[in-house]
Amino acid sequence: MKLLDDILREKPQEADGIDSVVVVDNVPQVGPERLEKLKNVIHKIFSKFGKITTEFYPDADGMTKGYIFLEYASPTQALEAVKNADGYKLDKQHTFRVNLFTDFDKYMNISDEWEAPAKQPFKDFGNMRHWIEDPDCRDQYSVIYEAGERTAIFSNDAKEPITVEERARWTETYVRWSPKGTYLATFHQRGIALWGGEKFKQIQRFSHQGVSLIDFSPCERYVVTFSPLMDTKEDPQAIIIWDILTGQKKRGFHCESSAHWPIFKWSHDGKFFARMTPDTLSIYETPSMGLLDKKSLKITGIKDFSWSPGDNIIAFWVPEDKDIPARVTLMQMPSRQEIRVRNLFNVVDCKLHWQRNGDYLCVKVDRTPKGTQGVVTNFEIFRMREKQVPVDVVEMKESIIAFAWEPNGSKFAVLHGESPRINASFYHVKNNGKIELIKMFDKQQANSIFWSPQGQFMVLAGLRSMNGALAFVDTSDCTMMNIAEHYMASDVEWDPTGRYVVTSVSWWSHKVDNAYWLWTFQGRLLQKNNKDRFCQLLWRPRPPTLLSTEQIKMIKKDLKKYSKIFEQKDRLSQSKASKDLVDKRRAMMEDYRRYREEALKIYQEQKSIRLELRGGVGTDELDSNVDDWEEETIEFFINEEIIPIGDL
Amino acid sequence: MFGHERSITQIKYNREGDLLFSVAKDTVTNVWYSVNGERLGTYNGHTGAVWCVDCDWDTKNVLTGSADNSCRLWDCETEDNQPYLTVPCSDHKITSAVWGPLGEFVIAGHENGEINQFSAKSGEILKKAKEHTKQINDIQTSVDLTMFISASKDNTAKLFDSTSLDHIKTFKTERPVNSAAISPIMDHVVMGGGQEAMEVTTTSTRIGKFEARFFHAAYEEEFGRVKGHFGPINCVAFHPDGKSYSSGGEDGYVRIHYFDPQYFDFELEA
Repeated sequence: MKLLDDILREKPQEADGIDSVVVVDNVPQVGPERLEKLKNVIHKIFSKFGKITTEFYPDADGMTKGYIFLEYASPTQALEAVKNADGYKLDKQHTFRVNLFTDFDKYMNISDEWEAPAKQPFKDFGNMRHWIEDPDCRDQYSVIYEAGERTAIFSNDAKEPITVEERARWTETYVRWSPKGTYLATFHQRGIALWGGEKFKQIQRFSHQGVSLIDFSPCERYVVTFSPLMDTKEDPQAIIIWDILTGQKKRGFHCESSAHWPIFKWSHDGKFFARMTPDTLSIYETPSMGLLDKKSLKITGIKDFSWSPGDNIIAFWVPEDKDIPARVTLMQMPSRQEIRVRNLFNVVDCKLHWQRNGDYLCVKVDRTPKGTQGVVTNFEIFRMREKQVPVDVVEMKESIIAFAWEPNGSKFAVLHGESPRINASFYHVKNNGKIELIKMFDKQQANSIFWSPQGQFMVLAGLRSMNGALAFVDTSDCTMMNIAEHYMASDVEWDPTGRYVVTSVSWWSHKVDNAYWLWTFQGRLLQKNNKDRFCQLLWRPRPPTLLSTEQIKMIKKDLKKYSKIFEQKDRLSQSKASKDLVDKRRAMMEDYRRYREEALKIYQEQKSIRLELRGGVGTDELDSNVDDWEEETIEFFINEEIIPIGDL
Repeated sequence: MFGHERSITQIKYNREGDLLFSVAKDTVTNVWYSVNGERLGTYNGHTGAVWCVDCDWDTKNVLTGSADNSCRLWDCETEDNQPYLTVPCSDHKITSAVWGPLGEFVIAGHENGEINQFSAKSGEILKKAKEHTKQINDIQTSVDLTMFISASKDNTAKLFDSTSLDHIKTFKTERPVNSAAISPIMDHVVMGGGQEAMEVTTTSTRIGKFEARFFHAAYEEEFGRVKGHFGPINCVAFHPDGKSYSSGGEDGYVRIHYFDPQYFDFELEA
């Protein structure tokens, strides 16, 4: 009896081993002559995930059926196979579907009675674009102050900011707007939260312990979060990509260092995102979150890359390698076709600057020409809209402090030289193949360039150590509209329409005079807003216009008609403001006068007491005691004049 | 006017306004003609920084208070001086004090922002006011002693009624206010201040940009600024006739300004 027990115990249970079995569908159906080859191919692919202990290729009528069973040494390995091989494209007609055998069991046992899933209550967040419908076209901006304790949202009115929302401890560090302005993201120890709609309700929450950085996809479909805390070898969690609408975690990635955030750069349409690791460029596609063509690009020595903001083109550069010169390459995605390669010699460093529409790429090249010691800089301007992408070179004689393209135009501005001789130069990339220097302003107090998002206007600012010097420039004729100063300004932010500029002194960089000032685009100061320990102001971005170019043309034509209506409205609101202020002042003065009259009455009544205190000497007025005055003549030196008496 | 080697702590006009007294951290007390800035004399004797000064109504005596824990009473004309009083320390140190309208109480400002009325006879507290949130730096009365203005580290100055301690007005700035004064003839107040010495992390290239600020007493609105000091302003005072004012600064200078005619005609729209 005992012996039988032992043997019976060892009898393989039906459950044993089933968890380590996977079913692979869409396997090519082959006859016996090609079976060996097929088995080799399958084995090669699937032994990557573990040790295959058994394989079974069912057949019928001399051909394999098109699905196979593989058993691994452990259930974990089977899971790996499902995770990584499901969706594997063997060839044009065959993409593997890999499932756990036990899942089949689960799916087979689904009851015939279909129960409709419980309906989730519809979360109505209201109109997510509510702020755009403001009848006076006011833009919103977020302000963090009280050293981070309070965050407020204001509506920008030229007279004074209108509070929309204000909350204590809304965020633990700072805030970010999504690229089209739909969401406000706040940071917390447990993750990030997205807020939106008219009342800024919480739309979504993403749990990522210790999150410190985020980035949005341009289409606002995805958000990428980074936390230095969470990474493990098995489960990459340093960077997580989330689907904003469903709240789902789409994919996690490892991350060695967050020094150059964002690590993943998005294509302008959100179709691709890419990152660079040593010698490799990995491009992923959405919504699958898988590698484009299932493999990364091997680019030895790749130093930097960036997407065109207008097309799915990646620009990257590699430094010199033995006799191969350094070069910049433009590559079309997803085809990976190299549309332009530019060789560069004696390169020390390169920086890529795209114009906002992707019309031009400027590569700032620092070189040490042969035989010299110093570093010179060239701007290589790639004309993206012209056939074969011609490149023009602008040589710069001095070291470069800042460079910026006009957002939707063909001009760029450069700050060059060394303090105190800093110069601002404006260039125009013309259609005839020439790049013309329009104007140079010398001896500028500036270290940063801020173009209006609509182009034409810009601010040259000397931030922080340059004490907040500001110059407002109209680049249509390169004139200085106004020169002003916001002492110790640390930031400059244009509103999305290009009508207003905010300069601010952040508590994070300077502990006193924390405030933000509102200027018109011409440099006329409108408001000074002091805020206790003001930290950060961010304008809410606007979604792209729904108007066609035709419609915009029509509106510009009729602008005079609209201007009249706006001017009238402005006049009315101005006089109302003055009237409000005047009324307020009148009331305050009446109160004050009343108080003073009372006080004076009591004062008069106490006159006798005062006389007594000073022994009968009246001191109420300066001339109460004229008899007591002593006249004193004081002589003091005014001027000395030497008059020569001339030749006597 | 240059007469002190270290920062000015207080300045006071005598009742008639022809003399201006100044004291500083250099232990020296000076007296000047306010009409032309010529120095009349110096009183030496303190061994520590002198923080406050006042003279009596007929300019016979001058009283100074110093960090050497003593008050000295000087004869204005000679340099005779005697230690007058040694002041013991207690908690919530008093940082500024003025007499009430009839000498029956003293109004004192404390390190914690409180303002108290102390009976001159018994020393007990008659009334309290806690409107400021940080240290009171200065208290000055109006010329008829019915009101006083308190300058505080909490970036505001406030106007109070001397007898009831009712809070009447508040004047807001973005810097700690070191001193404030009430004009004897106009509905104006002047304030001077500056950043904490501790918080100066950059060498200021803003030469002469520390400003005295003028506010309308009824509207609580700023209407003017006067530049000129190279450092924070520590004290301000109106001349008793209201036609000029003085400011003493961290830079060791005392500046006397005479108002031009527009100052007296200026009115905010109301």
